[in-house]
This record gives sequence, structure tokens and C-alpha cells, in this order.
Amino acid sequence: MTLGAIILLPFFGGLVALFANLIWPRTDRWVALASLVLGMAALIFVTAQGVLTGSSAAGIEGEAGRWLALHRSDWAPALGVQILLAMDGLSGVLLFLSLGLGILTVILSWNETEKSALLMAALCWTVATSNGVFLAFDLLVFAFFWELMMVPAFLMIAIWGHGTREATAIKFLIFNTIAGLGLLAAVFYLGSTSEGPVTFDAFVIAARDIDPTVQVWVLAGFALAFMVKLPVPPFHAWLPDAHTQAPTVGSILLAGLLLKTGAYGLFRFPAMLFPDGFAVLAPYGLILGAFGTIYGALVACGQTDAKRLVAYTSVAHMSVVLMGICGGVHFSMMGAGIVMVAHAFSASALFLLIGAIYDRVGTRDIRQLGGLQRNAPRFAATFALFFSATLAMPGTANFLGEALVITGMFQVNWVYASITLISLVISVVYATRLFQRVVFGASRKAEVKQDLTWRELGPILVLGTGTLFFGLLPQGLMVALDPAVNAAVGAIQAVTK
Amino acid sequence: MTLSPALILLLVPSFALAAFMVLGLYPYTLRRRQVHIIALLGGALPLLIMAPLTGLCAAGHCLGVVPIFTLTVGQSVVALALTLDPLGATIGLTVSAIGAAVLVYSITYMAATSLADLRRFFALMNLFLAAMLTMVLAGDSIVFFLGWELMGLCSYFLIAYNTTSAESITAGRKAFIMTRVADAYLLAALLLLFLHANSVRLDVLIPASATLDATMTIVIAALLLGGALGKSAQVPFHTWLPSAMAGPTPVSALLHSATMVAAGAFLLMRFAPLMQLAPAVQVAAAVLGVATAAYGAMSALFQQDVKRLLAYSSISQIGFMMLSLGVGAPEAAAAHFVMHAIFKSLLFLAAGDITHGCVEGTDLSSMRGAWTRKPVSYVAFVAGGASLAGLPMITAGWWSKEAILSAVQGFGAVGQVLWLGAVLTALLTGAYASRAIMIGLMPMRDSDMPHAGNVHRHEAPRTGTIWTNLPLMLLATGAIVAGVLVTPIMHFLGAEEPHASAFSVYVAAAAPLLGVGLALALVFVPRLSEGLRNVRAISRKARKMPRRGEGGPQSRFVRLALWLNWGMRFDGLYQVMFVRPFVKGVRWLNGYGSAPADPVGTWPMLALVWLQQKITAPLAPDWFDKLWMWGAAGVVRLWALVRRVQTGRVRDYGFAMAGGIAGLLLLVWGTP
Amino acid sequence: MTDTFLIGMLVLAAGLFAVGLFGVLARRAVLFQLLSLEVMLSGPSLAFVAAGARHGDPAGQGMFVLVLILAAAEVALGLALYLRMARTADVTDSDSIRDLRH
Repeated sequence: MTLGAIILLPFFGGLVALFANLIWPRTDRWVALASLVLGMAALIFVTAQGVLTGSSAAGIEGEAGRWLALHRSDWAPALGVQILLAMDGLSGVLLFLSLGLGILTVILSWNETEKSALLMAALCWTVATSNGVFLAFDLLVFAFFWELMMVPAFLMIAIWGHGTREATAIKFLIFNTIAGLGLLAAVFYLGSTSEGPVTFDAFVIAARDIDPTVQVWVLAGFALAFMVKLPVPPFHAWLPDAHTQAPTVGSILLAGLLLKTGAYGLFRFPAMLFPDGFAVLAPYGLILGAFGTIYGALVACGQTDAKRLVAYTSVAHMSVVLMGICGGVHFSMMGAGIVMVAHAFSASALFLLIGAIYDRVGTRDIRQLGGLQRNAPRFAATFALFFSATLAMPGTANFLGEALVITGMFQVNWVYASITLISLVISVVYATRLFQRVVFGASRKAEVKQDLTWRELGPILVLGTGTLFFGLLPQGLMVALDPAVNAAVGAIQAVTK
Repeated sequence: MTLSPALILLLVPSFALAAFMVLGLYPYTLRRRQVHIIALLGGALPLLIMAPLTGLCAAGHCLGVVPIFTLTVGQSVVALALTLDPLGATIGLTVSAIGAAVLVYSITYMAATSLADLRRFFALMNLFLAAMLTMVLAGDSIVFFLGWELMGLCSYFLIAYNTTSAESITAGRKAFIMTRVADAYLLAALLLLFLHANSVRLDVLIPASATLDATMTIVIAALLLGGALGKSAQVPFHTWLPSAMAGPTPVSALLHSATMVAAGAFLLMRFAPLMQLAPAVQVAAAVLGVATAAYGAMSALFQQDVKRLLAYSSISQIGFMMLSLGVGAPEAAAAHFVMHAIFKSLLFLAAGDITHGCVEGTDLSSMRGAWTRKPVSYVAFVAGGASLAGLPMITAGWWSKEAILSAVQGFGAVGQVLWLGAVLTALLTGAYASRAIMIGLMPMRDSDMPHAGNVHRHEAPRTGTIWTNLPLMLLATGAIVAGVLVTPIMHFLGAEEPHASAFSVYVAAAAPLLGVGLALALVFVPRLSEGLRNVRAISRKARKMPRRGEGGPQSRFVRLALWLNWGMRFDGLYQVMFVRPFVKGVRWLNGYGSAPADPVGTWPMLALVWLQQKITAPLAPDWFDKLWMWGAAGVVRLWALVRRVQTGRVRDYGFAMAGGIAGLLLLVWGTP
Repeated sequence: MTDTFLIGMLVLAAGLFAVGLFGVLARRAVLFQLLSLEVMLSGPSLAFVAAGARHGDPAGQGMFVLVLILAAAEVALGLALYLRMARTADVTDSDSIRDLRH
């Protein structure tokens, strides 16, 4: 039941926060914070229990020692739907990320005055639904949370965003919902074409022998939803607009959390459920990823809106994740996992910084900014740190992930490795473009006079420490990701041998 | 208490790193004095640890590879390690010594900067020092690459130190991008080696490279060469170094003369056993080395700015190191590395002091009258310049250069050609070094005389302080005397001193002296000096190559000199080949041309919108509504017909009645 | 009387009726329509009388008296309407009074 608590605590916390202000003013943020902290506590408890006892893999044969926790209960037996939640190292890492980012965003929006209760609720619900995505192994429940994930994000963009926020929110919703149709269709197909009773249990489906051609089509449905979420060109058009018009906390959760759900889906389900289909479609995934990483980097080099620039770098980095997953070898998949975590840290931090600048001067146009070095040294120093993270400077987790992906690519095909290296070179161009226009130079029209406050600095320090820690001492992260990577690679190799 | 070797080695860069962290991250204000002390500690402590370690190594107790950390990635075990071997000890000692000297010098040189900027400067210098030492002492490829890239990052920040100058920022960016390309090559090579050897430790990787197949060996060796060429600013990756002179003088002295740019050569020294397995690549390295050396010397001869002159000189001297590595004599290259570090940093520091606060900045004309204005610095400059030129027997530069030339000559037929090129380069080196020295003897022009109007008072130099003079003097002594160390270094690194024929030694000795003569000719032969004055005028004002026949008298000479002044216009070539297409492409992708911004993202969306319109457009009118309304209209039409029955005329009604009754009667009675 | 005679009488009666009907429909002047109506009325009354004579039933002649009464009433009404028309609208054309139409 504690696994369920990881989802339910933030959800109900959000619900209560929505009405908390009616009881006592300004309690909504405390309620939200408390629910997220409790969720984190539950997560720590479950992880500790799973690590120490190592035996909660009841019900999943053949994967001893990998799963940290499992929860199975009926929901609609007639339809074959059960609440099946399972956590392993990969989901554990992502859950920590999700709850951590949730706490950070609640702290950041502590002083929000406009509709603060709804904002706190939206933040909590984003975390809750993402947790559902990370934990669900009943495919219908997974698809349920997948679709549900977009609603709080839509709210955040539409209500607290800037510019053409309603139109952008609708574009975001339509894009992702259409993509989710592929997922739904595939899930329903899988559930309904079973010899025995109808079931959506992923483990049962994994053990089933599905015809390879069918696998390709079903995998295409799954992959469409995940690739739109990642996002990979040519499905990425929703991301730059969503990031530009979203509020700071919206961008942080979008970049740090929602994009990772797509990556998680690609990591987990193709290898587990459709290894043959994966073997067929992986080369195309590699090509898409290779194209995406260069394309995203190139477009980022010409952007004038700081947030849009970072959005396109997200496209580039997540394309590297796609390449890593489609590579199908241990190094590249481990690298993809690490890039996921690293990108969450660095992109969230950059959005936080840019959001802080926007709050002060009201513009994100890099042609108008400048001179941060003179007036706000703390800003400049933290910007420098995340600038080097975006570049994949050794010492940051980003470099570690990308280097592992490149190593894996060398095992697959040196052309892809070269393309990733080229993308590394282009990353210098766009990172210096952002950094020197904002930090160096004399201030142009928009001068930032006030340095980072402690409320902003705190989350930044946490994110910076994370980036450096996982870059220099990644053993813990690798140990956590290892079982999931091994399982995925094993499933893929078993088919391609 | 015995300190573990790992701890001792870790300490070497740690103090510099700690200085960086304190200076960079300590949230409260530090006073100027405190900043100086922390910076000096960060610079001096590594030297103080490195010196006894080197002594230990020289005495035969090198520590070898010392693992500090182990990771498991899948099936592979990644062991991070540091190493202390003769090569690392030599280079490490040199780097820490030069670093300490430059930091001491910076205390007065940067006296006019604001406190916040000073903190940033010293923090970055210390970080750089830590990175370089990490790289030198690295025992595995990951730590090596960490130091390598971190140096590049520090270089970016330090070149762009003057954050309000667009020139500095552009130069920093250019340097970063070009070295990043080289870093990509290096990363590829290291990862390929890792995949092959299944380990990252250098003492496993390098021997394992013997089992690589032939193509792979050439590929990896070529990639390593590419990485080295980029970092060391060799042709064709050299255009960033002259622009990097936009950074402050201590930065140029430490990074871009002595240490970072030589890191490429150090890479090849480390991986020398691997390079020797790929003779084709080695020959390529040698040829590129001598070509770069010649190119650098030729370009340096006609520079108008003393720092740019020294930058091209660095390119040239490292070309010598590459040449030496290419002919399979890494030890001679290492010896030259040490000597070059000494005299090049000396030259930069001395030139910086001489030109400090001058109106023309670092232009060569600021060197005028140095003998009278700044005698100490000028003497130091002369010592450095002589060592650079390689004046026979009396300077350190001669000994190391001689070692290289001997090694080259022993390389066979190709070696003879290379040797010739190297000797000619030595001649040119003598020329440009002497030219710079001679300008120092010339009296200042009236316009250059410092007076209230034209000296930048805010940069008022503090001459003759101990902080500037002590490093200068020590380095100057080293530049002259350190030649005796060349043979011991080479023995230390495990090589025999190469023997050269007496003839080649005499020729090599004559070369720099002839170069001095060439410099005298350039200055005193009227036609040549007038040509140089034209070059100066054109390069400062018009900045355009004059056409044939223009450019005043000696136009051919002027055009040649300008072409060399502009580094054979490599910069322009790269602009056309790489920068402009890239910028055009990026602008097109961002919607500045005919396509919408982000075409790959927009076109699917536009296609979807078009599809949606195609589907919904026919359905837009409500067909059921239309059907109902058509029915209603029919009813209306029917009514329009039917109402005509009501004529209002009695006769018509009468007729209708009669007809109707007749019909009824017929119906009732007429049908059976 | 014989059947043929009766048939002859009935044919005459039908003819009178038809002539009268034609007159009503074909003539516009109200006076002539009224005249034609009288002629129309004579048709069925002849038929009644003839049929009464054939069957020896006096009801035929009684119907004839009824028809006379009917004709008188109807003429009175018609003439009254005609006078009304002539005095107020000054027309004798039945076609022109057609306000009770669409």
C-alpha cells in the first residue's frame, strides 16, 4: 500500500490544498509541501524496505532482486484491470526526481498570489500523475495516468503562463492527446487479444508470445506516444511554445518531469513487451534520434528567446536519450538513463534562472539582456555551472551520460557516435550564445539589478549539487539503474542473437 | 605516519582546487590581501608538493599508477587513477613552477582591477592550475579528459575575462569551439580504446593498443593527433590562439604559451607507444609539425602586436614539439616543453610589464624604449628572446632545440627534408625574436612618450616591485641556464641523447645568427623597413589587402607581409568555409529566410492543420439542418401552388362545387 | 307515361341543367348568372315532375313546389346581393368581388 501512497498522497494533498485556503489563509502551500514531503518519506521507506529485504518481488518470477516493491489489487476484475504498481531502480530514481522537483517548485511558488490554491493543486497533481506513470504496470492504468498527466500541465500553462498561453496550452494538449491515442489503441488491442481472460497486466503480456509483425504495429502505437512526449523531431513542435508560454514552475516540471515520462516509457516497455518489434524499429529510432540531436542543436543556435533556446536544447538532449535506448547495448542504455537524470537537473536549473531573470526585468530576449556578471555575481556563478552542464563538461552528470551513450554508439555504428560528438560540438555554440549574451557584456536594455534570493538559490544549490554529485560520484545512480538496464538489454539481446 | 601515495598525489591539484572554491564560492567579501594570500597558496602549494615528488621520482621511486576510485559499469570496471611517472613528474613540476611564477606576477599586474573581478581572475587561474595538474598526473583516460576539458572551460572564461569587450568574448568563444572539436576527436579515441581494452587505466590501455587491428590503430592514432593539434593550436586548428591574446597577459603567459597549448604535445607524449604503432600518422604529425613551425615563424615575423607575435611563436615552437613526436623522440619534445614553458612565459610576462599602461596597448611600438623605461623587464625579455631564438650554447632553448634537430636528422630520408624545414624555421625564429628585442632598444617616439594625456592612468603600472621582478629574474635565469637540464631530463624519461653530425650542429648554430641578421636587415634596409611601415599602416587602418601595384612602393613585399600578418588568411578561409554556411543554415532554420521557423516541427503541424481542414471543410455546413429546411421550403412551394385555388371568384367556386358533386355522383352511381 | 318519354324528359332536364350551369360559369354579369341559376333550377324540377308523373307519385310535384320556394328565396338573396354590389362598388361583374381570397 505504501506504493499507492506515493501516488495518492500528492493527489489528495493537491485536493486538500485546493480548499485549504477556505479554512485558514495561506495554508495551501503548507498542505502541498507536506503532502509532497510525506510522499518522499513514503518513497524512502519503500526503497529502504526493498533494498534491505530484497524480497518484495512476490508475484514476478525470474526477476529476483530487481524489483524493490510490488503492489497488486483489483480494480475492475470484469474488465481485467487491476492496480498493479511495481518499482525498481529506474522508477525509484525517477520517483525521487519527481517528488524532489515537486518540492522545489512548491518552494519556488511560495509567494504566488494569483489563484495560489489551484497552482499548488496543479503542482501536486502533476507529481501524482507522473508517479502513477512511473509505477503503473497494468497497461490500462498506465495509459490512464499517461493521459491524466497532461491535465495539470495544461492548467498551469493556460492560467499562469505568459503571452498566448491559452492557445499554446490547447496546442500542447491536442498534440499529446493525439499521440496518446496510439498508446490507447495499442493497449486496448493488447488487452483484448488475449487467449485467456482479458488482462492488461504487463508481466503477463510480456510472457506472452506475440507475433512479430503485430509487435511492430503495437510498438509503433506505444512509441508514437512516447516520442511525442520525449520530444523527438518531427513531433517536437509543441515543446518550444509550451516552454515559452509556461510559468517558471511549469517549465521546470515540464522539462524535468514530463519529458522523462516519455523516456521512461521507451526504456521500459519496448524491451519488456515487444523485443522483436524493438529489434525491427530500433534502427529507425536511431536515425530519428541522430537527426533530432543535430536539428535541435542547430535551431537552438539561432534562437533569441532564452527559454526557447533551452527548449530546443532539451529536444537535442532527449534525442540523445532516444539514441541511447535504441542502441540496445548496456553502455548506451545506461548512458540514456543518466542523461535523463542529468538533463532533469540542468534544464530545470536553467529554466529557474531564466524565470528569475524574467521576473525581474520582464523579458527573455537575449538581445536585450546582458551584464549579469557586473550586477549579480551569484546569478553569474550559478549560470556558469549550468552552462557547463549543458555543454556536457566532464564532472557533470550530463557528460557522463553522453559519454556512455557515445561508447554504446561506437558498439552499434560509428556514424551515430560521430553524430553525437558533432552535437557535442554544436552544444558549445548554443551554450555560449545563451551564456555570454545573458551574463557577459554590458547590460543592454533590460538590466537585472537584484541578485538571486535565498528562495531561488536554495533549489539551485540542490540542483547544482545533484549535477556535480552524479557527475563525479555516479556509482549510486549506476547501481540503481543497473538492474533495469540489464533486464532491457537482456531482453533485446535474447531476440537479436 | 605513512601517507598513502594516492593521498599525496591527490593533494597536488587539491590545493589549487580549494583555492578556487574559496575564491569562487565563498559568499562573503574577502579583502584584497586575503585574496592574494589564498591565490598564492593555491599556486605555491602544488609546487611545494611537486618538487619533492619529482625528486623522489628522479631517485627512482616513482609511484606508478595509483587508483583512487573504482566504478562498475555493466561488465566493465572503470578505475580512476592518478600516476606519477617520469613524464608526469617533469611536466607537473614545470607546470606548477610556471603557475606559481605567473600568479606571483599577477599580484601587481592585476592591481588595478576591482576586487570582485580579481577574485574571479584568481579563482579561474587556480581552477585552471588544478585542471592542468590533474591532467598531467592522470593515470586513466577519464581523469585525463576531465582535466583536459576543464582547462578548455577555464580558457574560455579567462580569455573572455574582460566581459564588456566584445572582442574578448568572441575570441573566447572561438577558442572554445575550436578546442571542443579537438576534444571530440580525443573523446572518440579514448572511448574506442576503452571499448577495446575494457579498462580506462592508461597503463592497461596503452599496452592493449598493441592488439588493435591495423585500421583501428590508424584511426585511433589519427583521432589522438587531431585532438592534440586542436588543443595545441597547430595547423589547421590554430586560428584561435592569436585571437586568444585578447585575454589578460598572465592568462596568455600561463595558458596560451606554456601549459595548455602544450597539452596536446603532452597527450602525444603520453600515448607515444600507441603513436609508434601507426607510422603513417607519426609521419603526418611530423610533417604537420614542421609545416606549422614554419608557418608560425613566418607569420610571427610580420606581426605588429607583441602578444600576437608571441602567440604565433608558440604555434611555431609547439610545431617543433610535434615534429619531435612525429619522428619518435617524445623525450626531446618533453625537454623542449620544459624549456619553452620557461622562456615563453618569461617573454609574455616581460612584454606585459613593458607594455603595461601604454597608449597603444600591446602593439610593438609600446616596446620602444624598454631599455630605458623598464630595464629589468627588458633584460628578462632579451633573455627570453635569446632562448627562443636558440642562440647557440648560451641559452636553454638552444639545447632543447638541438636535441629535437638531432632526433629529426636521425630519422632517415624524410628526416633530412624535415630537418631542413626546421633549420629554416630556426632562422626565422631568430629573426622575429631579434626584431622584437631591437624595438626595445629604439627610442620612443614623441607620440608614444607617456605624459598626462596618453597614459591610461587607471592602469598605472607599478614597476620594479618584487612581485614582478622576482618571477622575471628567476625565469630569465632559467631561460639561460636550464639548458643543462635537457640531457638529464631526456635520460630521466628513458632516452639516450641523440647524436648529430657536427655539420648539422654548425648549421643549426648558424641559423639563429642568420636570423638576427635578417631582423637587422628588416629594420635597417630602407626598402624593407619602409615596406614594414606600409604594412603597419594598412593593417591598422584599411584592413584590406591592397591590389597588385597599390600599397605604395615594394608592393609585392607589402602584400606578402600583410598576408603573413594575417596568418595566411586562415581565419578568413574558415569564416567562409565554416562560419558563414553555419550561420546561414541556422538563420534559415530559425525562419529568417523563406521557410517558417523550425521547419521540421512546423511542417508536420501545418500538414495536420491542412488535413484537418480538408476533412472538416466539407462537413462544415449542417446537412441535416439543410435537409429539414429544404423540406420546409418544399412545403412553402406547395403552398404557393395551392393558394392559387382561392381565386375569390364565385364562378370558380361554383365550378369546383359542380365538378366535385359530379365526380362524387359518378363515383357513387357510376362504379359497380 | 312510358319509359322512353321519361328518359326523354330526363335528358331534357339534364340539358336544361347543363345550359344553366354553363351560363353560371361562363357569364360574368351577376344578373345573367342569376338567370342561368333559374334555368339550372328548372332542370331538376322538370326531372322531379317527370319522375312523379311516371310513378304516379304526387311527391314529384310537391318537390317542384319546394324548388320554386327555393328559387324564390335564392333569387331574393341574389338580387339583394346584386343591388348591394351595384350600389356600393358600382360593379356588376362577379369576378371583381374577390376580396376573400389569399
